Amino acid sequence: MKIRPFRLTVLGLSLLIPAALCAVVLFLVVYSGQAIVFNGLRFLTQVNWNLGDLYDDPVVVHGIQVPSGANYGILVFIAGTLASAAIAIIIAVPLAVGAAIFLAEIIPSKIRPALSMLVELIAVVPSVVFGLWGIAVLVPFIGRYLSPNGSGYGLLAASIVLALMITPIIASTLLDALLQVPRENRESAFALGATHFEVVMKAVMPMVRTTMIGGIVLALGRALGETMAVLMVSGGGLNIMPTSLFSPISTIASFIAGQLDSAETDPTNMSVRALAEIALVLFVITLAVNACAKLLSSGVLRVRKRA
Amino acid sequence: MKMMNLLQAGAIALAVTATAGVVQAQADSATAPLVETGSSLLYPLFNLWVPAYTASHPGADITTTSTGSGAGIAQSLKGLVNIGASDAYLSDTMAHMHKNMLSIPLAISSQAINFNLPGVTSLKLSGPILAGIYSGKITHWNDPAIAAANPGVALPNHVIIPVHRTDGSGDTFIFTQYLSASDAAWGSTVKFGTSVSWPAVTGGIGANGNQGMVTAAQANPYSIAYIGVSFSAQAAQAGLGQAELLNKAGNYVSPTPETISAAAASVANSTPADERISMIFAPGAQAYPIVNYEYAIINTHQSSKDVATAVRTFLNWAVTEGNSMSFLKQVHFMPLPAAVVELSKAQIKKIK
Repeated sequence: MKIRPFRLTVLGLSLLIPAALCAVVLFLVVYSGQAIVFNGLRFLTQVNWNLGDLYDDPVVVHGIQVPSGANYGILVFIAGTLASAAIAIIIAVPLAVGAAIFLAEIIPSKIRPALSMLVELIAVVPSVVFGLWGIAVLVPFIGRYLSPNGSGYGLLAASIVLALMITPIIASTLLDALLQVPRENRESAFALGATHFEVVMKAVMPMVRTTMIGGIVLALGRALGETMAVLMVSGGGLNIMPTSLFSPISTIASFIAGQLDSAETDPTNMSVRALAEIALVLFVITLAVNACAKLLSSGVLRVRKRA
Repeated sequence: MKMMNLLQAGAIALAVTATAGVVQAQADSATAPLVETGSSLLYPLFNLWVPAYTASHPGADITTTSTGSGAGIAQSLKGLVNIGASDAYLSDTMAHMHKNMLSIPLAISSQAINFNLPGVTSLKLSGPILAGIYSGKITHWNDPAIAAANPGVALPNHVIIPVHRTDGSGDTFIFTQYLSASDAAWGSTVKFGTSVSWPAVTGGIGANGNQGMVTAAQANPYSIAYIGVSFSAQAAQAGLGQAELLNKAGNYVSPTPETISAAAASVANSTPADERISMIFAPGAQAYPIVNYEYAIINTHQSSKDVATAVRTFLNWAVTEGNSMSFLKQVHFMPLPAAVVELSKAQIKKIK
């Protein structure tokens, strides 16, 4: 048998990424095992989260040591994560699509690189900077002019900060695709007497639909997992389901970051295991959302087009 | 010839290793490098201490990081750091499980209850009132309970916005301990901890870090917040009022050096040998109710004798020279009473 060093190296390198992913998932499953047994399905359906009394003697439930009074329910955080990511997408998609079309169709090609670089620049701004802007500008604004109870911290602030962070992701992916649409498409549409709006809507956008959905999925992944910026402006909702745009929320990622330090002082270690279980849930949610988006972009839409 | 070369190379290699070993050993005895991590409240004090200590102890090498009290305890327990800084002492369970872990007070801190109440500059509050606010039983500023404690103050008919910490915090620990000690209902339901399961209060918000608390209280009129005393300057600058709190003796007191020292003095003689005691709601006519020891969480078994010596030397310096007001006043801390310094020194001796 012939040894192919190049092929072997590339194979090894390419296996590293899925291996790392599997290692993380395996670690989460093994580490949170006791918590999964202790929590059961209540974990996903309960509103109340309580680390329990870490300064009291631990109690034994079903053979598992837990802090007394511990109760782990994460429905609030699932709701906060999905709601903030969904609203962020609703805000970001029109903005991003508009920006991308403007940059691809309207702007003279000479100044396009400068402007598109600006859009991409927003994508690399660290999230804590968005969080600071949120606290300094957005939260007081919402509190003064929009919120009925005077508090700007909450779902809306978190969603807007997230929307700003993900808009450039969608815009720059879409822009790249728009620029690759063949000139002939536009020209033939114009030749048929289409207006500029019709050209974009009927001749250009259908060509980039898959890329656009891909960009949205990428952005959604970022929105679901964003931690720091959300932690700073979300109002840290706990034990209460969000009821309006101005309710304080917690997302799964920001909640893990906020609770980890206290969880580490738990002598039974159950608190950290429960946090690992939340991380597992976040992983499953991200996976499910991505799978749905993939399905939408490939199968369902094409069926509708044919019909 | 070849053999000769090999031998020579071997001899040189041996010599190099031996020299390196000697250098290493000398370095250890003079300056075993120490790592400190934990409480973000103690971090500014450590950053004042370390340069001064290094200046008077040439070769000393201490790295400080700010992670959080929980991380300070956990990493010290695992032996990842030499000194874990924590706003809270080890729980009974932790202390029993890990008999080699010490909780050594380094200084005294306290906490203010700040409010953003347009038109009101002074306010008297008690543990039961605060427990009522944070559990959603007292929802308006003109509630009879608040009015009874503040005769003559024009309290607005407006919803109260209680602000709490979302991150694990020693400030949450001492605040909830005050509520637990002074309000039976809070003490039997929510209890205390560096993170607690805050009761659902409509309009209540969570903020990240002490700076986040100041910002949130400033941005939300009619809010109330508990803020570590190191941030009192920022809180005052943000226009927040500072409440007088009801102490165990039934007097309303503000956090001043006198009232904080009064609380420290009243607990000094009852502090046990392992120094794990709450100073919250201390007896004494002038004692401020939310005062606490800031702890170093130390493993008695350090990795080597030299490291243990370095830890002992530093901690002994911290509870004596390090407790001078020139350091402490910059972070609004207070020095340990003399009796407690002796207890801390006795504990430091156990580090080996």
